[in-house]
Amino acid sequence: MTKRRQMRFTIIRSLVAILIALLVATILIFISAAGATFQDKLEATREALKQMLAGPLFRFSKKSGTAFEAKRLADILAAMIPTIFTGLSVCVMFSANQFNLGAEGGIMLGAFITAMAAIYMPLFAGLHPLVAVLLGGAVVAVVMLLPALLKTKLNVSEMVCSLMLNYIIMYVIKFLMNTYLADKSRGQIMSYAFRETANIPPIINNSVFSGAKLTWGFVIAILAVILCGLFMYRSRWGYAIRMIGINQDFAKYSGMKVGGVIVLSQLLGGFLAGAGGGIEMLGRYTNFSWSALPGYGWTGITIAILAGNNPYMVPLAAFFMAYLSKGCDLMATYAKVPAQLIDIVQGVIFLFFAAEQFLSGYRQKLVVKSAQEEIEMAKAQKEGI
Amino acid sequence: MLNFLKILATPEFFFSIIRISAPILFATLAAIVVEKAGFANIGLEGLMMFSALSGSLVSYYAGSWFWGFLAALATGVLMSLLMGFFAFKLKTDIILVGIAVNMMGSGGTLFLCKVITNLTEGKAMASTTGLITKSLCIPDITIPLVNKIPFLGAVLSGHNLLTYLAFLFVLLTSIMLYKTSLGLNIRAVGENANAASSVGVSVLRIKYIAMAFSGLMSGFGGAFMSMAYAQGWSQDMVSGRGFIALAAQAMGGGECLGGMLSALVFGFAQALGIKFSAVGLDSNLASPIPYAVTIIGLVVFAVVRNNRIKKQHSAAALAKSAEK
Repeated sequence: MTKRRQMRFTIIRSLVAILIALLVATILIFISAAGATFQDKLEATREALKQMLAGPLFRFSKKSGTAFEAKRLADILAAMIPTIFTGLSVCVMFSANQFNLGAEGGIMLGAFITAMAAIYMPLFAGLHPLVAVLLGGAVVAVVMLLPALLKTKLNVSEMVCSLMLNYIIMYVIKFLMNTYLADKSRGQIMSYAFRETANIPPIINNSVFSGAKLTWGFVIAILAVILCGLFMYRSRWGYAIRMIGINQDFAKYSGMKVGGVIVLSQLLGGFLAGAGGGIEMLGRYTNFSWSALPGYGWTGITIAILAGNNPYMVPLAAFFMAYLSKGCDLMATYAKVPAQLIDIVQGVIFLFFAAEQFLSGYRQKLVVKSAQEEIEMAKAQKEGI
Repeated sequence: MLNFLKILATPEFFFSIIRISAPILFATLAAIVVEKAGFANIGLEGLMMFSALSGSLVSYYAGSWFWGFLAALATGVLMSLLMGFFAFKLKTDIILVGIAVNMMGSGGTLFLCKVITNLTEGKAMASTTGLITKSLCIPDITIPLVNKIPFLGAVLSGHNLLTYLAFLFVLLTSIMLYKTSLGLNIRAVGENANAASSVGVSVLRIKYIAMAFSGLMSGFGGAFMSMAYAQGWSQDMVSGRGFIALAAQAMGGGECLGGMLSALVFGFAQALGIKFSAVGLDSNLASPIPYAVTIIGLVVFAVVRNNRIKKQHSAAALAKSAEK
């Protein structure tokens, strides 16, 4: 199949998957919409859909009409910061066919360690956030050694192990916060404030950027995407990771150190998740108050699936998820549809993107068409001679 | 310390181990059967969440626990068949199907709960606990005669109907796997799908049956969670039991009896955690105990298994050299 046809197929397939998910969403919204008559419900559904699909960029009001809202776009971009990191983390780990689901715990632990470094380590501005974030990433990378080594040495399922680690990380952090680290003068369980030197500032200091917390973290996230892409597609190690994911036995027989590469991929995955948590913490908050797993790890898995484990596609997928999530939030506020609709939509899109045989009939047609064209061309060439 | 041991040596403690093990046991049986058929269903967690919700809601609206119970089972089976459709027909990686179901099971159930009941108390939290009364839960059963035995009676009698069913299913599943042609087919498909197919076994059908069985067990587990363990459904109430079951399956060597023992170990760990927090340990330190035990258990099991394989290999090598 030609490259252009391949591309066209991928795009059409993605669009159909999204359309199906939106259809499911529409049905669910219709069921949950307020209204006594069919007509009322239809009207409410239309309103909710409008908020969900266009709301993230436009504000609708009766007085001034529809207007573009820069703040909401900035919100979406800011919301991409942690999920780009978890998306990259999952990409790297899943590329080696290792279903490590520890990005969820990893981002919480990274955020926690970075927060502690931001509170208790006296350093000067500029260096402080760098050290704190690197520390957060490094600690999570070390923790990810546990599932990785258990898998390679003892063949213990990395999936179960990493899932259990998520719970353990959450409870241990809660314990440490409650018992030792909480600022007792506050009503809620939260840490002392970060040192000012640790703050990651907004890219531009105006109301839109600082209100949305669109910080330099976003730039770092994009840099991470590029580095990750270069690593996966332009380095020996990245090649090894992808080969092991495609065919582990083949990689082994061609002399790759499979165990070492698997450990490396999860070290890197852990580092990315941890650093992402740290950057989110220093950019968005002034003290640590997370008391539950933040959910970014699961979104990261969806993003990795949407991106087909390709780091370069992660920002696009992250933007899509952030857009959808913002839309669902707005819908919950203005149309009284519970915001958790996002989880169902996310699940449906996820399923159809991961389904290899979805629209396989259409692909078959394209392949046949390409083959026929090639034969015709060959024939024409022969006759020409 | 001695005092603490005294607390543990009570019938209530052993009673709670059995009670806590029951939902894990259901999910473990689900994991065992699909593993025998050659794949993994990691969506047990999500399936249990959906079953728990539908059981609780239907029992409320129908006014009878029985219909709720049936609804929970039906939900589990239907959803697992849908998972099977994605995995076998659309060739989605079965692990990813599981992840998707778990994702929907966490937030999606809350969405459905809010939409169906119109309960939106608080911003994020909603549960059906306010709707469910004791009579809408699956009843406890007192076994006559047994309950008269000192100590043992208090441990074994008075459990929920489903708790007894869970342990009964260990036996039934074992019989199904090893004494029926269906079980033989399931194991054959798991062992070597091509060989099974060559002697006329419909691999796809067997895989769907195994999947439906795991859905049925998740249905039992979910019903237990919302209609016996707790009164009513609340968000993330399954809290990792579906995942722990995957570990119990591995630790039990993929067999029913072993799986049951592993489930009991996790039940013990959790019951111990509850007791610990009762005597003053921070609950945030007691709660992760079952999860930590899971990892430790997996490691111990793996070490034992590897040693056994090594021994077998060296024994075989010795036998070979002796022959020469």
